[in-house]
Amino acid sequence: MFLRVIGRPLLAQVKQTTGIVGLDVVPNAREVLIDLYTKTLKEIQAVPEDEGYRKAVESFTSQRLKVCQEEEDWEAIEKRLGCGQVEELIEEARDELTLIGKMIEWDPWGVPDDYECEVIENDAPVPKHVPQHRPGPLPEEFYKTLGAVLSKKEVPQVTSSESSSKE
Amino acid sequence: MERSEHGNRSDTNTDYPFQLLCFLKLHTYTRVQVSIDICGVDHPSRKRRFEVVYNLLTTRYNSRIRVQTSADEVTRISSVVSLFPSAGRWEREVWDMFGVSSINHPDLRRISTDYGFEGHPLRKDLPLSGYVEVRYDDPEKRVVSEPIEMTQEFRYFDFASPWEQRSDG
Repeated sequence: MFLRVIGRPLLAQVKQTTGIVGLDVVPNAREVLIDLYTKTLKEIQAVPEDEGYRKAVESFTSQRLKVCQEEEDWEAIEKRLGCGQVEELIEEARDELTLIGKMIEWDPWGVPDDYECEVIENDAPVPKHVPQHRPGPLPEEFYKTLGAVLSKKEVPQVTSSESSSKE
Repeated sequence: MERSEHGNRSDTNTDYPFQLLCFLKLHTYTRVQVSIDICGVDHPSRKRRFEVVYNLLTTRYNSRIRVQTSADEVTRISSVVSLFPSAGRWEREVWDMFGVSSINHPDLRRISTDYGFEGHPLRKDLPLSGYVEVRYDDPEKRVVSEPIEMTQEFRYFDFASPWEQRSDG
């Protein structure tokens, strides 16, 4: 009986290494992540509502926060989110926080609705011997974020992999 | 302007390269942590003749993106060294080859031209052979620069035709 009480916290394996050079293991990753995400959601309120950036950040941050709060174990968080290791998530959250501060300082909002980026399509066929390194499948939260950003407005402003000109 | 090619590259033209690159580096869905190359292109017919091209790579999402900014001879580009430390040398090279300098660059000096070289080699108005030639001068016991003397006339090769071309037609 004592074995089960003592054994259950020990069953969550301690992560030995992240496997990435320069990235140390963070033992209390879950708390750090929840802390960072709540801070992010608070900071993003300063961005005007109706901006694609705000919708995107709120969408994926709240989704990651939900998963972190539901799951206790770092392994379960990693598996459910499918976005790489928790230490990488911590790095991404920190960078996003810095970025929100900078975006508020630079203030690029206010692109008019009918602004369109000129897209030139190049349909030249690629020869067969050229290796095309296609990126792998994206995690599902990415598609949910994309849906959230595109839901109300027709023109996506600052979305994930395309970048638009700022005025 | 954004051009999407067949493949995975998109080009963007903007007046705020530093802000755009900062966004690309830090945003969760565009984690562009690596700058592969920063180079310039000279289009002499345009008003803003130089184009500074940033080639970037995201290892997280395995894709590349190319950002282009236009500049003329006196425009100074904001340096991205604080974001991508490798950009130090790339921007030095852009300065040396084209004459497009960077604000806030920690160490802007020539990188591939000779020490007393005047001019910016990769501009289209500097000829292929340059203006000076160097030779070792025995009486003076040092290397001197003198205006160039070409022993052979410049030959134009027109590879479109199989027949041997004569320069005077």
